[in-house]
Amino acid sequence: MGNKSRPIYAPFKLDVTGRAHLIVTNLAEPPLELAEGFDDITVWTVKTIGRGIPAPAAPGLRPFRAVAELLPQLAVRLAQATVGLRLYAIGSEAFIWDAFNVAITAGLDKAEIFVHHAGPLVRRVYCTHCRTMIEDVAADITPCPACGAHLFVRDHFSRRLAAFMGVIVDAEVPGEVPAAEALTS
Amino acid sequence: MKLILAKIKVLSPSIRHFTLAPVSGTLPVAGAGAHVVLEIAGPGRVWKNAYSIISAPGAATYEIVVRRVEMSRGGSAWLHDHAQIGKVIEVQPPQNLFTPPRTARKHLLLSAGIGITPFLSYLHVPGLNYEWHHCGKAEDAAAFKALLPDAAHVTLHTGRNALNLAALLAAQKLDTHLSLCGPEAFMDFALATAEHAGWPAQKIHKESFGGATGGEPFTVHLRRSGHTINVGADQSLLDALEAAGLAPPCLCRGGACGECKLPVLAGVPAHHDHYLSATERAANDAIMICVSRAQTQELVLDF
Repeated sequence: MGNKSRPIYAPFKLDVTGRAHLIVTNLAEPPLELAEGFDDITVWTVKTIGRGIPAPAAPGLRPFRAVAELLPQLAVRLAQATVGLRLYAIGSEAFIWDAFNVAITAGLDKAEIFVHHAGPLVRRVYCTHCRTMIEDVAADITPCPACGAHLFVRDHFSRRLAAFMGVIVDAEVPGEVPAAEALTS
Repeated sequence: MKLILAKIKVLSPSIRHFTLAPVSGTLPVAGAGAHVVLEIAGPGRVWKNAYSIISAPGAATYEIVVRRVEMSRGGSAWLHDHAQIGKVIEVQPPQNLFTPPRTARKHLLLSAGIGITPFLSYLHVPGLNYEWHHCGKAEDAAAFKALLPDAAHVTLHTGRNALNLAALLAAQKLDTHLSLCGPEAFMDFALATAEHAGWPAQKIHKESFGGATGGEPFTVHLRRSGHTINVGADQSLLDALEAAGLAPPCLCRGGACGECKLPVLAGVPAHHDHYLSATERAANDAIMICVSRAQTQELVLDF
């Protein structure tokens, strides 16, 4: 594959050079086994036990109602944190690169951030025609809810937007839209 | 280019402030962190020493502050003992290997001894958000006080263990970068302390100096050019190659920039640089010739 925009993800591993570790995920449980021997690990998840009610917190575990609540709190947490913290983002590509961008804005270096793709194969798609973001797209062709274009979901990924590029699929013969197939990566 | 020694100010018995003016025309602009290499002609040889420029970018003169090194290779001793106002000195145009890191929102500056100099040039950067801790010997306190700005975020530490470095480094926010300049032992201690506190290498910026302190003499064989050169106890490998009429690549002459890296074909180098990683050092297949020497009596280099 000649696609250089698509990130390659290393397996999850805690960075031994860190003094404290914050793991954030948009999943209900982080799909990982935490290694022994690390004493300062905090896990943030998105898990509710009813509409708008987060799952109970526990020592080292803080569930949020939604990603929309977690990411702003991440910015607050990083603004208070001291050097030595390592951030790990696990989940959909949209989520992990949103978290990555929050961390870069907070002043972290790439070397202090680790991202891992996990969970359902869904993509955030950026309509390159009207600039609408379409969340949780599971097929390779999707209509844009804003401009109505039928978009082909390319493998071209923007880390800045944390989204895949969607381009109109029937520009040459309007209405000739191929059957959508489920995403496989 | 030729510069004329315009002013000498004695700051302490071992620290002097020199002002260099152009013989004609204007000087190239030197930004924060830049240095110049002075070519000082001594008996039978030329010393090439790098000094940070502390005057503001675009100033009419270059100002440098020089410590007379105890085990001087000659350059700083000449500047202290023989340099006189009006003397013309050959100076290489400024280089900058130590600009303030662009992505830092706060700069934690940490210096020791004559490592104070590059950060004096940082003071000219408008609006730079910094906290500066300088460590020095008590006998140099007056000289350093005269150079340091009188500000709440600048602290001079004299005496052993005056600065709790571990606590300082552990308390920094994530938008802070660390910049270091000082003698080798100070740099090693600061780097180890920072690493222990979890600082990533990407947030640590450093410039060392005076790494070429001499040592046991050894012999170097240059495989490609066929030279065999003896490196004396008081000269660096780079100095010895230059004395033999060769022009190996080099820039900072202080083990920081990586320009003078040469492949080692045989023998074991004694690494004194701040460029190679621990893994690269352990491989012993490359050497920074400006500061590093040999553990073996002979070295074979691919040059």
